[in-house]
Amino acid sequence: MSSQITLTSSDGVDISVDRTVAERSILIKNMLEDLGDSGEAIPIPNVNEAVLKKVIEWCEHHKNDPVTATDDDDNRRKTTDIDEWDQKFMQVDQEMLFEIILAANYLDIKALLDVGCKTVANMIKGKSPEEIRKTFNIQNDFTPEEEDQIRRENEWAEE
Amino acid sequence: MPKRHLDDALVTQPPSKRRDLKSTPPDRLSSLSDELLLQILSFLPISSLNICQRLSRRFHTLAGDPELWKRQYYVQWVRPRARRLANVTRSTLPSKISAARVDYSPKVSTWLDHGHLTEDGKITNWKGQYRLRHNWSTGVCRVSEVKFTESQTPPLAQLCAGVVFTADTVHGLRAWAAKDPAHCFAEISFSDSVETPSINPTALTVSHFVDEREVVVGFEDGQACRYLFNVRTARLQLVSRHTGLADGAITAMALSSPYLMIVSENENLSLYNFQGSARSSKSAKLQKLTSLSAANMVAPMTLSMRRSGVNIVATIVYSFFHISCGWSLGIQELRFDRTGQQVESRLTSTVESQHGTFSERGRPESRTRRDSVGLDIDVDRIAPDSGEPLIVHLHPPTSISYSHPYLLTSHADNTLTMYLVVSDNQRLFVRGGQRLWGHTSSVSAVQVTNRGKAISVSGRGDEIRIWELEPAVRSLGSRPLLQDENSIKVHPEHPDRDEADLDSAPTGSPGDIAEEHEVPDGWSIIQGCVGFDEERVLLLREKAVGTQLLECYDFT
Repeated sequence: MSSQITLTSSDGVDISVDRTVAERSILIKNMLEDLGDSGEAIPIPNVNEAVLKKVIEWCEHHKNDPVTATDDDDNRRKTTDIDEWDQKFMQVDQEMLFEIILAANYLDIKALLDVGCKTVANMIKGKSPEEIRKTFNIQNDFTPEEEDQIRRENEWAEE
Repeated sequence: MPKRHLDDALVTQPPSKRRDLKSTPPDRLSSLSDELLLQILSFLPISSLNICQRLSRRFHTLAGDPELWKRQYYVQWVRPRARRLANVTRSTLPSKISAARVDYSPKVSTWLDHGHLTEDGKITNWKGQYRLRHNWSTGVCRVSEVKFTESQTPPLAQLCAGVVFTADTVHGLRAWAAKDPAHCFAEISFSDSVETPSINPTALTVSHFVDEREVVVGFEDGQACRYLFNVRTARLQLVSRHTGLADGAITAMALSSPYLMIVSENENLSLYNFQGSARSSKSAKLQKLTSLSAANMVAPMTLSMRRSGVNIVATIVYSFFHISCGWSLGIQELRFDRTGQQVESRLTSTVESQHGTFSERGRPESRTRRDSVGLDIDVDRIAPDSGEPLIVHLHPPTSISYSHPYLLTSHADNTLTMYLVVSDNQRLFVRGGQRLWGHTSSVSAVQVTNRGKAISVSGRGDEIRIWELEPAVRSLGSRPLLQDENSIKVHPEHPDRDEADLDSAPTGSPGDIAEEHEVPDGWSIIQGCVGFDEERVLLLREKAVGTQLLECYDFT
């Protein structure tokens, strides 16, 4: 079993990576199991070089983390706290942030997907609707009357 | 995909400030799939979910997702209780709690006490359910009132599974929708069913079946009428009439079909069995099972009947004056088997609890078990050996509510007292006693459910409190509860207050209304608590002498 494998990004760049690091991705892990050890480069058609490198950087740092069980949903959701290294890692522009989320989802890296989702959740928390719309450029497609009605209906839980 | 520079990844500034694009930057968040957006939303607290619903139509749908709210509901309202119950080691609560799950399960049937949400074909509005619980926990509700009779004596009223039944001399028996108390389903006059016209009803009891409610009304001349109300057809019909059940006015009743318990003004207690199994059977005869004279019984008292295994347990809780600790409660329990044969009768009182004698030690031997029938507490056997009592009541309770195992009394001294009744095959005793603080004026009525949720009302009805007593059970008797620890004050909103009180408004300053939602023209008292369910509390109020109102506090 070779300890190094090659991934090919969507823009055709080959990246060499430790197998154990790449196997943080369940998709790659399953592919390696299915394909056997052919030594051929694995194409990652949905992720470009910049994003793939970023994802690998994350996997490198977290390669020794215990693989979290899938059913500890409640503990996972209890907090949007993100550890310091991940916070720094996620200090990217929005385009990259959402690319990482999409890549983590595609590559099936649950822990990275959670970090990405928490980062976005933290960008939403504590903001007014107008601030959130501004942050993400969300188009308000309500009429003022509709918006006012929803505001009144939802007043009860505002803190 | 727009062209991107490699160093983009290292730039930490938000793109909107950095780029000088003329066109609006893309909405990358909304371009994510529903699945990913739901995942992001699952990390948000409910306050943020409500905010997100205001963003756009798509977010309105996603942030209102039932599964999202169901999980929030579980984490907020189901798990803490499951955890707490799992920690209760020695408890008199039902044994089903041992099966309580602590991990989230999407199967509602595994959640404790959520059976009403698992009915077939019913789609639960989980956001609505969350909001309902939230409103109960903060005391927020809308209040509406229905004027339903002009009379010096308040009508009899009882809430039973979504239907309010009222009985008064003028209008007879009426059924109302609890959801919308202005809507009267049906009414039936007593003059059709009772020979003497304008006879006064004196007691009312209701029992619940799938889509029927069985109602028994007792009258001042000792007769009783049995009615059936069909929920689907909204029809109320007289089923049978029974004369001579009591030698005076019937003052209290409890019904657990086919058993009917009656107390008369002459302090006679009788238990009857409706013969003929069909509920609608006109030929049903009442068979007297037992009769007790209740010489020592002082009002207020309460009757209750429950099923315990194959037996029917009829319980009478009454107040009496005890030399060492003032007003106390006596509990007489009669057990009947399926054939109506009395199995046993036993008696206990709250005297020892009031002395703190068995706060945490449990009960030694079944000292209070007696085979004789009688409502007389054997005072000599209760030895106040522990000196000064912990709970002394100098005045009789203003009301008693018993829903096994919870027994509550309300008092004019601004408090409630809670006891837990332990009743099994061997023993009947009262475990612990606890004063409940929170009211700031005399408490006139209390009502409790067998899950430990209670509602108490002050005499003027300006202070309504909601109690969750289950957490208090663990600390029962071991330490005084802190004020407000278990209760929430109801803060009603009066959407129709302006119209409703237009005529009386000029007499009071606006400050009065804003402060306590007091009726400015003064005299107004609470005549009783009609009942409460998952969504609302119903009270009887008398305003301006003789105007009887049904007040509905809606928490949805």
